[in-house]
Amino acid sequence: MMHNLKAAICIFSYFLCFQYVQAQNSVTTIKISAISGMQFNLVRFSVKPNEQIKILLNNMDDMSHNFLITKPGKRLDIVNAALKLEERGPQLNYIPSSPDVLWSVPVISANQSTSLSFTSPSVPGAYPYVCTIPGHGFIMYGVMYVSTDGILPNIVTDLNIPPSRRAEKLLSINSNSSMDHEKITLQAQHPYESVSPYLYRIFMEDAGPAAIAVSLPNDLSYCWDAGTCRFRYAWSGGFVDNTQIWKGHANVNAKIVGTIFYRDNTLYPILVGKPDQVPLIEFRGYSLLNGYPEFHYTVNGIDVFELIIPRDDGKGLVRKFRIPEAKDNVWFTCNTESASVEYEVSAGTWINGKLKLSADDAKSFSVNMLNYSLVYNNRKKK
Amino acid sequence: MTIQLKLTQVLFACFLLFSSNSPADTDPINKAYSVQTIQTPPGLMSETGGLAFLPDGRLVACFIRGEILIYTPKTNQWKLFATGLHEPLGIQVVSNSEFLVMQRPELTRIKDTDGDGLADVYEKVTDDFGISGNYHEFNYGPVKDSKGNQFIALNTASQGGSVKPEIRGTLNNLGRDMTPGIYEMYSVVPFRGWVMKLVPGTRKLQPYASGFRSPNGLGFDLEGNLFVTDNQSDWVETSTLYHVREGKFYGHPASLVWNKDWKGGKPVLSPLDELDKMRTKAAVLFPQGIMANSPSQPLCDVTEGKFGPFAGQLFVGEMNRARIVRVMLEKVDGELQGACIPFIDGNGLRRGNNRLAFAPDGSLWVGQIAFGWGGDQGIQRIVFNGDLPNDIQTMKLTKNGFDLTFTQAIKKATALNPENYKFRHYYYKYQRKPKNQGADTSVQQDIQEVLVTGIKISADRKKVSLKMAALKPGYVYELKLGNITNTKAEPLTNKLICYTLNKLIP
Repeated sequence: MMHNLKAAICIFSYFLCFQYVQAQNSVTTIKISAISGMQFNLVRFSVKPNEQIKILLNNMDDMSHNFLITKPGKRLDIVNAALKLEERGPQLNYIPSSPDVLWSVPVISANQSTSLSFTSPSVPGAYPYVCTIPGHGFIMYGVMYVSTDGILPNIVTDLNIPPSRRAEKLLSINSNSSMDHEKITLQAQHPYESVSPYLYRIFMEDAGPAAIAVSLPNDLSYCWDAGTCRFRYAWSGGFVDNTQIWKGHANVNAKIVGTIFYRDNTLYPILVGKPDQVPLIEFRGYSLLNGYPEFHYTVNGIDVFELIIPRDDGKGLVRKFRIPEAKDNVWFTCNTESASVEYEVSAGTWINGKLKLSADDAKSFSVNMLNYSLVYNNRKKK
Repeated sequence: MTIQLKLTQVLFACFLLFSSNSPADTDPINKAYSVQTIQTPPGLMSETGGLAFLPDGRLVACFIRGEILIYTPKTNQWKLFATGLHEPLGIQVVSNSEFLVMQRPELTRIKDTDGDGLADVYEKVTDDFGISGNYHEFNYGPVKDSKGNQFIALNTASQGGSVKPEIRGTLNNLGRDMTPGIYEMYSVVPFRGWVMKLVPGTRKLQPYASGFRSPNGLGFDLEGNLFVTDNQSDWVETSTLYHVREGKFYGHPASLVWNKDWKGGKPVLSPLDELDKMRTKAAVLFPQGIMANSPSQPLCDVTEGKFGPFAGQLFVGEMNRARIVRVMLEKVDGELQGACIPFIDGNGLRRGNNRLAFAPDGSLWVGQIAFGWGGDQGIQRIVFNGDLPNDIQTMKLTKNGFDLTFTQAIKKATALNPENYKFRHYYYKYQRKPKNQGADTSVQQDIQEVLVTGIKISADRKKVSLKMAALKPGYVYELKLGNITNTKAEPLTNKLICYTLNKLIP
C-alpha cells in the first residue's frame, strides 16, 4: 500500500512539473508566477544539462519580487547577503554581488512580467531559485533540478522546497486518495488530543465572522454565531479542517468535515415580552460545563443561557435554555419548516410556529430535536 | 438548577511537558546579552500571539491556533489553560487565574473559577467593533494605563482579501477605493485603522486615534505615554513608532470614514496636502530594509537596571530579521522624537519577533510568529549577563548637531576621528502608493551625506558632541559609526543608529 502511494506521488509530481514545461524550437519554456503569501506557484521543475531555458516570470502578488538562481546549497547565504545590503538593497534590486548567484531578474512590481533566458548548468544538481527581498527569501523559494533522467525526489520529503509546500502536497494527496479521511494521520494540530466536546472560534461558512464551531460526542458538530447570538447549523460525520486558515494570509473559512443535516434561519430565537418587536441582542460569553459551552447573551437586557448537547441516541441535538430572571412571557422560535425534524419541548405551547412559555417555564426549558436524516442514515461508522 | 449530563465527559487532561532550555547561544560580539531558546511542547504550533508574566512568576502565552498555555520557568513545564480562541494576538494578566485576551471577534476575560487550572469562564469584555471577515483584520492589545483604561488597535483589511457575506458592523464602502493597480488597505467596517479606548466597567469602545494601517504593537513608557507601531506599505512609506494621543490622526486615511466629523467621500481620494496637514508624524521612523520592515510590540524597559543600562527605553520586536530594535526618545519643542538602533542582531535570535515581556528576573522574553509571512515560531529569552554592553546609550539633538552618550568610556582618539561618523539624511514621502508599485516598496528621498564639522568629547569620555554642517527637520539622520572602541579597544556592539528629526531645538 505504502509503495503504491509513493509511486502515485512520483507520477503525480512528474505531471505537475511537466505541465509547466513546453519545448519551443529547442528552448524549454518554464512559467513561474509569484503568488500571494510570498510563494512561487511552481516550487520545482527539472531540466537537462546544457539545455536552452526561458523562464517566464509573472508577478501576480501585491508585493514586488525579484528572482535569483543560485549555485546548489547557496540559497540561504545569498538571502543573508541580500539582507546585509541594507539601504543599498533597493538600488541593487536586492541582488548581492556573488559568484554564487548564477542568474538574476531585478525587482518586478505587482502585475508585471518578465523573462530570463540561460543555458542550464552542465553539472547536475539542485539549483535553488529565490526572491531575495528582505523577509521573502526565507519562505519564497523553489528548486530547479538539473538531471539527465528528469526524476524528481518525493515532494513530501523534498528539503529544497518550502515546508508549507511539502505539507500541502501531502494534504492534496490525502484528499485525492480513496482512503477514508478518518484514517489519515496528519501532523498533530495541538499539544494535546482534542476530545469532544471542544470548540474553535473560527471563520465558518454561512455564519457571521464571530462564529463558534463546537464538536460534540456522537460525531455531531454545530455552528453557533456569537455575533447574532443564534444557532446556525449542525453537521455530522466529522468536525472542521482548519489547515487553510492556519496557514494565514488568506481569506478562507474552516472546512466543514461531514454533512450538514440541520440549518436554522431564525433571526431571533428568543423573544421576551412582545414577540413582534425586534429585540436588542448582546453576546456576553460562555462557560464550559463539562466541556460543553453554555452561551450567555442578553435579549433586551435579560440574561439568556443556551446549552446544546447531543441527544442520548445521537440522532439530533437538545437545546437547553435558562432565562432565570424572566418576568414576562418568552417566545422561542426555531426552524419548524424542516419536515425531517421532530421537536419535543419540555414546556410551553406552540402558537403559529412559535413556542410560548410563561415566565416560570422559561426559567429552564429544553427543545429536543430528533433528526430523521440521522435516524435513516445507515452508513457504518468507522 | 443543575444541569445533568448523561454523556461521559472527558475533560482536557492537564498535561505536563518536560523541557529544557537549550544551551545559550553566546555571541562573540554581544557579550552582555545571550539568547536562550525555550522548548515548547510537542504538537504545538508555537506561533506566539501574546506573552505575559503572572504574579507568581509563571509565563502565560497564547498561540495562533487558539491555545493558552502556562509555563513554569523553574521546572520547564508547560500546562494547558484554555483552547479554542480565534487568533489571539494579545494577553494581559489580571491574576494567576484570570487573563484578558484580544482575539479576532472580541476582547475576552478568561477565568479558571474552580481552581482546576483550566479556564471555564469566557466573558466578553467588548466586541464593539466591526469585522468584515477580511483575513487581515487582526486586533492588537490590550494595554492598560494607570487609570485602568484599556487600549486596543484594529488592523485595516487587505486588498488581497475579500469580505464575508455576513459581516459584523455597518458596511461603509467609502473606506475603500477600487482604483486598479493601487495596492491599499481598507476600512469598510467600524473603526478599522483605529486605536480604541475602553473605560473600566463599560463594554462600549471609545474611538481614540485614527490613521493606522497595521498597528501590531502597543505599549506605554514610564511616563504613561502610549506608543503604537505601524508597518510599512501604502501610505506608510517606512515603518513607524507613533506617540498616540486622543483625537489625532496618524496618516493612513481609510480609517477616517469612521471619524464622526468626516465630511464624506473617500478619504484616500482627499487632497494629499489636506491629509498631510491633519496627520501627526511618527516619533520615530524605522528605515525600511535598514532598521526594520515589520516592527511589532514596543515594550518599555521597566526592570530598573536588571536588564542592563537601558532602563526607561523601548524595545521593539522586528518580524523580518533576527533583530530587536531599541528606541530612545526625547522631548524637542514639546513633541517626542528620537532614535532607533539595533539591540539584538542575530546572536541566535530568530525572526518573527512579535511579542515581548519582561520576566520578574529582568530577562526579556520574545514570542515569534510567521502566520504566512516571513517570520518564525517559538519563544526565546534574552538574558543580561551583567557585563556592561559597549553601546550607544542615547542620541540627543543639540542646537547644531547631536550628542552621543555611550554606556562606557570610549577611547579618545577613536572618538575624535571624523572618519568614524558617517551621516546621511533622507526623508520619506507621505503619499498614496503609485500605481503598480509593490506593497513593500519604500523609497528614501533626497539622500545626502552630511558632514560632521566638529567633535568634542566630555571629560569622562562617555559623551561625544557632534557639530553638523546642516540639520533639516523632516529628515532621518542615519549615522554609521566606524571603529570607535572603549578603553579596552573593544568595538561598539551596534554601529547603526537613525534619528528622526521632526523638530529642531527652538
